[in-house]
Amino acid sequence: MERRLQQTFFALSILALALIVAAAWQANTPSWKTFQHNYLQLEAQAEPNAITKAAVLATPPEIHQVMLTGLQRVDRCTTCHLGVEDPTMKDAPEPFRYHQGLGPHIPSKFGCTICHGGQGLATDTAGAHGNVEFWPNPLLAKDYIRASCGRCHKEGEVPGVPELTEGRHLFETQGCRGCHKLNGVGGSIGPDLTSEGANHRAPEWLEKHFLTPNAVSAGSAMPNFHFTKDQARALTYYMLSLTSEDMGSFYSSVRLIPGPVYGRQLFDEKNCIACHNIGGVGAKTGPDLLGVTGKHSPEWLDEQLVNPELVYPGSSMPVYDLDVNSRKALIAFLTTATAEDAQLILSKKTRSLTPADIAIEAGKQDFARFGCVGCHGTELQGGVPNPNAQGGEVPSLLHVSDDYTKDEVIAVIRNGRVPPMDNPAGAAPPLYMPAWKHVLSDEDINRIADYLWSKQQKKASADAW
Amino acid sequence: MNLFREIWQSIVRRDPLSTDKGKSELVFLNVWLHIHPAKVKKENMKFRHSFYLGFITFFLFLILVTTGIVLMVYYRPFPPQAYQDMKDLEFVVFMGPFLRGMHRWAAHGMVVCVFLHMCRVFYTGSYKKPRQFNWVVGVFLFLLTLGLSFTGYLLPWDQLAYWAITVGSNIGSYAPLVGGQLREWLLGGHSVGEAALVRFYVLHVAVLPAAMILFTIVHFWRVRKDGGLSRPIWKLAPPKAAPLVTIGAPAASAAPLKASAASSTKTYGLMEVVTGKPIFETITPEEEEDTVFSYPYAFVREAVALMVTVTGIMMMSLFFHAPLEELANPAKTPNPAKAPWYFLGLQELVSHSAMLGGVVAPALMVLALLAIPYIDRNPSRRPSDRKWAIWLFTLFVVINLVLIVVGTFFRGPGWALVPPWVHVVGGAE
Repeated sequence: MERRLQQTFFALSILALALIVAAAWQANTPSWKTFQHNYLQLEAQAEPNAITKAAVLATPPEIHQVMLTGLQRVDRCTTCHLGVEDPTMKDAPEPFRYHQGLGPHIPSKFGCTICHGGQGLATDTAGAHGNVEFWPNPLLAKDYIRASCGRCHKEGEVPGVPELTEGRHLFETQGCRGCHKLNGVGGSIGPDLTSEGANHRAPEWLEKHFLTPNAVSAGSAMPNFHFTKDQARALTYYMLSLTSEDMGSFYSSVRLIPGPVYGRQLFDEKNCIACHNIGGVGAKTGPDLLGVTGKHSPEWLDEQLVNPELVYPGSSMPVYDLDVNSRKALIAFLTTATAEDAQLILSKKTRSLTPADIAIEAGKQDFARFGCVGCHGTELQGGVPNPNAQGGEVPSLLHVSDDYTKDEVIAVIRNGRVPPMDNPAGAAPPLYMPAWKHVLSDEDINRIADYLWSKQQKKASADAW
Repeated sequence: MNLFREIWQSIVRRDPLSTDKGKSELVFLNVWLHIHPAKVKKENMKFRHSFYLGFITFFLFLILVTTGIVLMVYYRPFPPQAYQDMKDLEFVVFMGPFLRGMHRWAAHGMVVCVFLHMCRVFYTGSYKKPRQFNWVVGVFLFLLTLGLSFTGYLLPWDQLAYWAITVGSNIGSYAPLVGGQLREWLLGGHSVGEAALVRFYVLHVAVLPAAMILFTIVHFWRVRKDGGLSRPIWKLAPPKAAPLVTIGAPAASAAPLKASAASSTKTYGLMEVVTGKPIFETITPEEEEDTVFSYPYAFVREAVALMVTVTGIMMMSLFFHAPLEELANPAKTPNPAKAPWYFLGLQELVSHSAMLGGVVAPALMVLALLAIPYIDRNPSRRPSDRKWAIWLFTLFVVINLVLIVVGTFFRGPGWALVPPWVHVVGGAE
C-alpha cells in the first residue's frame, strides 16, 4: 500500500508535468504562426538573393495589432492579413492579399473591424471573423460592407454609396419618425433606432423586414410600405450605419465628404450668387466662375477662399471662415458648375412666397419630418392597416375639419389618442397616435394644423351638388 | 564538502529520517509541517472516512491563490478594459486560457468540495464535542468561499457576469430594512457598474482572501487542538463498553486536580501552570497501537491528494475553456437572467416569494448551520443513534440540490418551467 501510494504520487507528478507541457505546446502553436510562416515564404520567394531571403525567413513571429484609441478598439487582423498594405501582394492568396481602393483609409490608421465587423482582438480564424458564440458582430457580408461608410460619414453623399443617401432620404420622407425615435426625435410605437446598427442584427433580417415587416417579426405593428428591393437595401444600409458609437475626433472630422453636392449647398447658403455669376447667370460684381477651376489650381482657389485679400490685395470678397472640407467641397462644386446650376439656385431665391404660404410649407415639412406621413400618408390619405381600430385602418386626414375644430385637432396632436376599437373585447390596435407635446413646440403643432386645414376637401359642399 | 554539509545542517537540523526522532523532528522543527501532529492514527487517515475533502478544498484554495496572483498581472478592474483583458488572456497571453481555466474550475470545485466536506463532517458527527466551535468556523469558511466565488464572478465583465451579479445582489436586497443599503454598499450605487467592479475586485483579491486565510488558520489549529482528525464511525467504541483507559488524565471519578497556590518566590514552567483534563479524545489501547509517524504515512497520502487535485484541474482546463460571453450590456437583459449556480436555489425560491427566498430561507439556513453543534445535544456519533439528525440534514441537502438543479436546468425565458432538452426559439430577444 505505502509503496503503491508513492508510485501513484510520482506518476501523478509526471502527469502534471506532461499536462503543463501540453498546455504550453497548445499555447505555443496558434494558427497565426502558421500563417506568418507561409507569408514569409511568399515574401522570400520575391527576394532576389539568398542573404535577404534568409533574413526574411528569420523574422520572428509576432502578433501585429493596431491600437485605435479613437475608435475604442484594437485590431489584430494584420497578424494574418499581412499584405493588406503591400501593393506587391495584389495577387497573393488570401489571407495575404493587398486591399485595393482603400484611399485614405489605411489599416494602420483605421484598422479593419470598423468597416468589416468581426472580432479585432481575436487571433484565430473563427474568432476573428466573429463566427463564434457570444460575439454578436461577425464579418459583414460583402454586399453590406459599404454601409459602414455611414458610421463616420454621417451627412451628405458618400461617393460610391448612393444607398446611404437614399436610405437617409427615405427615412426622413416616409415618416419613419412617426413611430421610431432617432437621436431623440420621433414616436415611441416602434423601437428607438438611434443605435440600431449596434444591435448586430443580421443585414438580411433588416432587408426582409423592410420588404415585409411581418415575415421576420410576427405581429409587428409596422405597416408594409411596399418598398422596392433597392429601397429596402438602402434602408438596411442606413440602419447598419446607425451605431451611435463615439468615433473619436479624427474619425468624425469628415462627417461630410467634401463633394460637389455639399459644395452646391454651401454655394447656395453662403449666397455666392449675390456677387458671382456662372456663365453669365447671377450678379456681375464678382468674376464669372464658369471654368474657374481650369484657370487656377485647387491650391490657389483654396488660398483665395481662406483669405481673398492675400491673393488680390483690396479684394472686396469677404472672409467666410470656411473649414478645409467646406473649401474642398466648394471647389469640387465649381469644377462641375454650369449656368444651369446658377439658374436653379437663383430661381429658388427669387420665388415669392407670402408669409402664410411659408407657414403652411413649414407645417408640411414638419408633417413629413416628424414622421406623421408614416401612417397618415404623404397626401394625408391614411389607409395604413390597423387591426381592430374603427375602420380597420389609420384614418385619412382630408376631412378632419368636418368633425373637429382646429383646437380639438391641436389637442389630439399634443396629447395623443388611442383609436376607438371595433371590437372592445379584442386586442388593442397596434398603432395609436403618440403624444407629441414633448417633442414638438406649440408653434410646430400650430403650423401642422394650419397645413392640415389648407388641405381640407369640403365634403359638405360636394354633397350640395 | 564540509561547507556544503554545514550549509545543509544550518537549514535542516533534524536527525536522519531513518530514526523515530528524525521523523518527529521533521514535523515539529518545520514551520510548514508542524500543523501536523508528529504521529497520526492510521484509521483516521482512511480515505473512506474523510474522502480527503478538507485537504482537497485547501489544495484548491492554493491553486486559486497561485493562479489568481498571476491573473492579477493581466487584469484591470474597470469596465471596458476588464473585458478586453479577458480577451487578451484568451488570444494573446501565453497559456492565458489555461490559466483562467484553472482559476475558474478550481473556484467551482472549491464551492462543491467545501459543501461536500461539510456533509461528510455532519454525517460522521465530527462536529460534536469538542469540535463544536470548529464547525462554526467551517460554516464561516463556507460563506467566505461563496463570497469569493460571487465576487470573482463579476470580474470578467461579460453578460454572464453582469447579470448573474445583478440578480444575485437583487436577492440580497429583499432583506428588510438593511437589504437595500447592503446592496448599495456592496455595489457602490444602485446598479452594477464601475464602482461595483472595483469593490468586487477589492473584496475578491484582498479582503475575502485575507479573511479566508485567517479563518483557515483557526480551522486547522482547532483541528489539532480538538484532537486531530475525528475517529471513523466504524472505530467508535460500542455504546456500552467498559470504561476507557484514559491516558494523561485522572480517572473521571477522581476529583479534579487542584492547582496549588502560586508561590511568589518561584518561577513556574508552563507545564506547572496548565492543569486539568486534556481536551483530547480519550484514547483506547487499540488506538494507541493504530498510531504511526506522520512521516511518511500522512504526508504521502496528502501528497497524492494534492496531485490528484492539481492534475484534475489541469486536465479540465486543458479541455474546457472558461466561458466568456459578450461584453456586459446593462441595456440588454438576457432572459432568463440567472444568478451563479450556487445561488439558483435561492433564486428559485425568490421566484415564488421574494421574502422567502431572499430573506427567510438564507437567514434560516445560515443560522441553522451555525447552531447545529449546539442544538444537537446527542453525544453519540454513531449513525444508528442519530437517525433523526441524519434524516433532517439529508432533507436539507436534497431540497437545496433539487432547487439548484431546477433553477439551473429547468428554467427558461420568463422563469418558465422548461425541460433542458427543449430549445426555446427566440427566447433571448
